[in-house]
Amino acid sequence: MKAIAARDEAALAQLYDRYRLILFGLLMRILGNREEAEDVLQEVFLQVWRKADDFDETRGRPFTWLVTLGRSRGIDRLRSLASRERVAEAGAREASEEVSDAASDAFLSEQRGLVNNALAQLPDEQKGPLMLAYFDGLTQSEIATRLGAPLGTVKTRMRTGLIRLREMLASHGESFGF
Amino acid sequence: MIPARALSALDPAEARAFTDHLAGCEECRRELQEWESTAAAMAVSANPMEPSPKVRERILDEIRNESKSEVIPFRSATRNIWTSFGSLGAIAAVILLTALIAGLVVLWRQNNARQLELARAQEFMELATTPGAKTMRLDGVDLGAGATAKLAYDKNGHAMLMADKLPKVPQGKAYQLWFIVGKNPPMPGKTFVPDDTGKGMLEDQVPATAMDSAVFAITMEPVSGVDAPTGPIYLRSSTIN
Repeated sequence: MKAIAARDEAALAQLYDRYRLILFGLLMRILGNREEAEDVLQEVFLQVWRKADDFDETRGRPFTWLVTLGRSRGIDRLRSLASRERVAEAGAREASEEVSDAASDAFLSEQRGLVNNALAQLPDEQKGPLMLAYFDGLTQSEIATRLGAPLGTVKTRMRTGLIRLREMLASHGESFGF
Repeated sequence: MIPARALSALDPAEARAFTDHLAGCEECRRELQEWESTAAAMAVSANPMEPSPKVRERILDEIRNESKSEVIPFRSATRNIWTSFGSLGAIAAVILLTALIAGLVVLWRQNNARQLELARAQEFMELATTPGAKTMRLDGVDLGAGATAKLAYDKNGHAMLMADKLPKVPQGKAYQLWFIVGKNPPMPGKTFVPDDTGKGMLEDQVPATAMDSAVFAITMEPVSGVDAPTGPIYLRSSTIN
């Protein structure tokens, strides 16, 4: 990130090469549309280029910063699209065509395994609200409406779910982390 | 409330109130970062997917255009001064001023290049000193005699290569990294083009099968890289720790 802040184009290209699969997979999951996801992916890396000075390495890893930025942009785009259903339907077709080059990256595959195992161990009542918040960008009230559950219950389940996820990932110690 | 904020799932009124609170609460900001780190892990659960190569091209084109446009104010400022003065003395003064600015720009660029080099060296050291990291030295052979390189990679295979004194590459050519395990065909890495002084830097991912025991080599290839080496070896590794 320091090199990017010093206007090193090669450093940005390397950051892109390292994280493009994860970020594009995330944006496809959120937007379900290749064209929109690629457009947002481009926006994210241009923002990284323009705002690399804002990254404070003492406050977290580049991975977290990038993913948080990417997801935020993805959710913003999702909300700005006129018809969420239309995009999701289009995306369902595209997403099924290509399921990743993940196999070519052993480390990424291992990390996916850890996270997916941890998520699989969460009860559906906790996992559901987490997924709706993270990938669909729904607020707690929207999730409560969607699930037909009391708002307080949704808040508790989300909090408990994220706490358990953190504990499970922490239990893998050095194994997890980009 | 902080976990929900990390998922940006707070309702608008709560989100605004919490943002106001964050401005004055270092402890909550720190805690939020920890929760954001956990939330970010959820991104990995999505299927990784390959974007079109055009996205990478568009990003790099855009930042190059931005870099060019950053120079434009200099040009327009010079033009305005030029037209407003109009006398030979003023023209001479402008020429001197331009030369002075050009000199300063050169110094600024040199300083930037040094800072960049330092930043890269620091990143390399950070990688090389992470627990479980391995460091290799690559020595120039044949056409690459006199060139050297250091390569470090961590236990996850994230590798950085820093090369020095490499011969210039012709147009359309680049150096490519190779991972060679036993008598198996070399596995291709990425390409890089060194600067005018022969310095080059590369980040790559060491294949899982090359993590424990491999020879690392650099050849000159077409800039887009090739699947099997076609050019001579310029650098070759020997383990130093």
